[in-house]
Amino acid sequence: MTLFVQLLIVGLSGGAIYALIALGYTMVYGIIELINFAHGDIFMIGTFITITILQAFNVTDDPTVNGTLIAAILVAFFASMILCAILGVVIERVAYRPLRNAPRLAPLISAIGVSLILEDIGKLWKGLSPISPPQIFGAGAVFYIGPISIQVVDIVVVVVSILLMVGLQWMVNSTRLGRAMRAVAQDREAAALMGVNVDFIISFTFLVGTGLAGAAGFIYLLKFPVTTFTIGFDLGLIAFTAAVLGGIGNLYGAMLGGLVIGLVQSLVNLIPDSNNPSSHGLGLPHGGGAWATAIIFAILILILVFRPSGLLGQQTPEKV
Amino acid sequence: MSAVTMNTNSTGPVSTTRSLLIKWVIALLVPVLVFNFVWQGDYLINNVILGFINPADALVDTGSLIQASIFILFFYLVVLAFAGYLVAADTGRRSMLEVWVDVLIFAVLPILLIVLVNDNLIIGLALCAILWPIYFYIRRRVPFFARSKALLSPKSVSLLSAEQKAAMVRRARLGGFAFGLSLAITWLVVDLVSYFAGALPTELLIVTAVRTVFLVVAGYFLGWVGGIVAVRLTLSANANSANGGDNSAQSGANGRRKRQLMMLASSRAREEAREVVPNDLPLRSAGARRFFLILLIAFVLFYPVLDPFLFGYGTAGRLAGYTDAGYYVILALGLNIVVGFAGLLDLGYVAFFAIGAYAWGIFGSTQFGRLTNIIIQPEVLSWLFWPMIIVTALIAALWGVILGAPTLRLRGDYLAIVTLGFGEIVPVVFLNLDKYTNGTNGIVGVRSPAFFGIQWTVINHVPYYYLILALIALVIFANVRLRDSRLGRAWIAIREDEIAAASSGVNLVRTKLFAFGTGAFFSGIAGAYFSAKLGNVSPDLFSFNDSVIYLAMVVIGGLGSIPGVIVGALAVYSINLFILNNLDSIASDPTSFLYGIDQFIIHYIPSFTFGNIRNLVFGIILVAIMIFRPEGLIPSARRKRELHQAPEEEAVELGSLDVTTTDPGFEAEVRIE
Repeated sequence: MTLFVQLLIVGLSGGAIYALIALGYTMVYGIIELINFAHGDIFMIGTFITITILQAFNVTDDPTVNGTLIAAILVAFFASMILCAILGVVIERVAYRPLRNAPRLAPLISAIGVSLILEDIGKLWKGLSPISPPQIFGAGAVFYIGPISIQVVDIVVVVVSILLMVGLQWMVNSTRLGRAMRAVAQDREAAALMGVNVDFIISFTFLVGTGLAGAAGFIYLLKFPVTTFTIGFDLGLIAFTAAVLGGIGNLYGAMLGGLVIGLVQSLVNLIPDSNNPSSHGLGLPHGGGAWATAIIFAILILILVFRPSGLLGQQTPEKV
Repeated sequence: MSAVTMNTNSTGPVSTTRSLLIKWVIALLVPVLVFNFVWQGDYLINNVILGFINPADALVDTGSLIQASIFILFFYLVVLAFAGYLVAADTGRRSMLEVWVDVLIFAVLPILLIVLVNDNLIIGLALCAILWPIYFYIRRRVPFFARSKALLSPKSVSLLSAEQKAAMVRRARLGGFAFGLSLAITWLVVDLVSYFAGALPTELLIVTAVRTVFLVVAGYFLGWVGGIVAVRLTLSANANSANGGDNSAQSGANGRRKRQLMMLASSRAREEAREVVPNDLPLRSAGARRFFLILLIAFVLFYPVLDPFLFGYGTAGRLAGYTDAGYYVILALGLNIVVGFAGLLDLGYVAFFAIGAYAWGIFGSTQFGRLTNIIIQPEVLSWLFWPMIIVTALIAALWGVILGAPTLRLRGDYLAIVTLGFGEIVPVVFLNLDKYTNGTNGIVGVRSPAFFGIQWTVINHVPYYYLILALIALVIFANVRLRDSRLGRAWIAIREDEIAAASSGVNLVRTKLFAFGTGAFFSGIAGAYFSAKLGNVSPDLFSFNDSVIYLAMVVIGGLGSIPGVIVGALAVYSINLFILNNLDSIASDPTSFLYGIDQFIIHYIPSFTFGNIRNLVFGIILVAIMIFRPEGLIPSARRKRELHQAPEEEAVELGSLDVTTTDPGFEAEVRIE
């Protein structure tokens, strides 16, 4: 039971990161019906920006809290967010906008192309081998509730993610821009007739979505000690799965999907190793952890078989 | 037949014929001579001849010499016939200079470039691929060339009378003769000069004499053949009117002709008009394409023996590369069915490839005996490759259907993610089921195929070359037949509009499942070949990146276009494995021009190598192709029509085909072959 709860907490914080990335996928899909394959790689660039800035401030492992540290964290967080947002807008302008009226497959392939480009840029920037950021929250930053140990970093990750998601919800539901976004998502031409600058709104959507990916890049590094150029693809794939699982184009769906996948990824570790004599042949060879990707995608396929537009896809047709 | 008009250009006065002869003899002679003298074509021929006269001097064994000489003979025979065809099929309205510039750019330039980069076929062609678009761009801008575009109009198409056709054949004979004569004389002069200079052995003088006579005679008769080919491609009036050439026997007996639905659309008429002979651009007509195809097939068939003559040492390494490129072609053709024909985006195609590879991997190694305790003699097992390749493909196809079944309800993007998921699941399963697959280590010692008396060793790539060639031929054949079948049309229908297709009676479930199944079938074939050639399989050989590469091949080549997809696969493969790697080796050489650039980049980006930016190059190509040429390198006619609506002024009235549509017997009377 203790293990279960702890895995639950780890899953929650992992899921929060997935949800942040998934939001970017789902926003872009909602507004121009494009699977932005480059999104995961923008997240990867975000982690690289964060590392570069933290190292520039000479942040060490388990640092003492002082003004420099706080400044470093703030600069890294916002620089990652802003630079990724700019990158997203530039990509939209260069690779997607010329294809706005092309056949459906064209922007998708263009997106795959951009993803490959970013991946290699990351490779050239930081090299092939994984790199580690300074760990702001050391392993010692733990507190206990009864027998359950909770890492401070998990709490921070969840709280920051929730703040960002709430902020997004507020923006989409309560501001003029958000209303314009919803309008463009529903009917681009009608929105244009109502005086919405469609190109600007699409750019703005990319700005927000990729900005969230940049933030996720920062948050990810708080929790996980390592990043490489392929992480964008690996995490992006799972985050995208989360978006589809929840019903792509639906903001709540992305959050739900992210959490579900985070939890699944964490809880599959409970499945025993069938090669291990103590499991009496139950479970899977090498234990559930080795099968995490396969299980996630199997769940995705199963869910799509029964609910072809994802968990929340039909219930809330409103999309952004 | 009311609508036959005389076209003075096609059977013009003697002066026209003379200018046509000059035009095409020079246009063909220049590349042939460049091939012979600048490159090492003469080296090949002389070696072949010398090898027969004095086997001790020859560089290679007699078997290769015989094959090489068969190819050389065949090559010249085809070129002679082609000369006849071109002279017959040209309307003569396009100026000599334009044709010569075209020939320089498209035939002479590749040869020179390949020589320039130290006989590296792939790099040379890659440079051409960069230079050709520049040429196209200039042509569009420079007024001298811009004029030629207007010439290409269906107005030049007309029905020819028997008399005109006979004149065409006459002209073709003349063309073949003139070309043969010029070639013979040129060679004679060169041979005599080198004889007196002492460079030519005396024995070869006999060959020279025989060749001189032979070329002229063969030129006359093969030119005739070319003329007949040209006549067959003319727009024929049938029923009562007589046909020229060999057509009369066919058309006389049969009153009712196979109907051609040629006037589907105005743009369609324009396309078809381009194919009909005589034509302003005979080098691009359907007939010329046949000649090119014949030459290409001959070249590909004889390639292993020609390679050492043309490119020198390192044949084995090059063949190894080409045999690997072969399975990419099969994969691209298979994926083309799913994505190109049926329009179902498949991002997990590598899964079926992996299934195919593992199917033969497990069966064709000791793994099978270990799992089932059925011990098959290794020699027998090698023979079982042939039936198993079908079984393997069927297993893959079955998985294609199993994956397809739950995804049928999904819309495009959901489908993409499910296939992607499947592509991720399969390697994980192979990785973790180590009881059957040996996990990370994979399966080693996979048997290669067996065939009568052929050594399938790791160093001898020739058997694999022919094996993959045969497989590709089969797959292309199947692809063409499928595309033109009822099923193929159904695929295209659901690609264009699923709802409309369903309302027209296309069974969506069945059609989509067939698409998935067929696509997977072909990748199963590729997989079996892959594991048999490599000798081992492991899960890390199959990743999402590969799926993306396969998709890139299909997209770069042209979705739904079979020749396009083949070119796309070869292009992607050569970028991947030849060009970037070669750039690295060139850049590491301090004398080359790339060295400085490379050092400059490395100064700022230490981890830079050209091999490292593979994905960057691919990504840029993918984005650029999507933005500038979304239909791909060689688009299928249908997609081209969709993506580029012909401008208004280019639309063609049916009347301009010299046939009136109101004529009741119209369809029965006109045919385009």
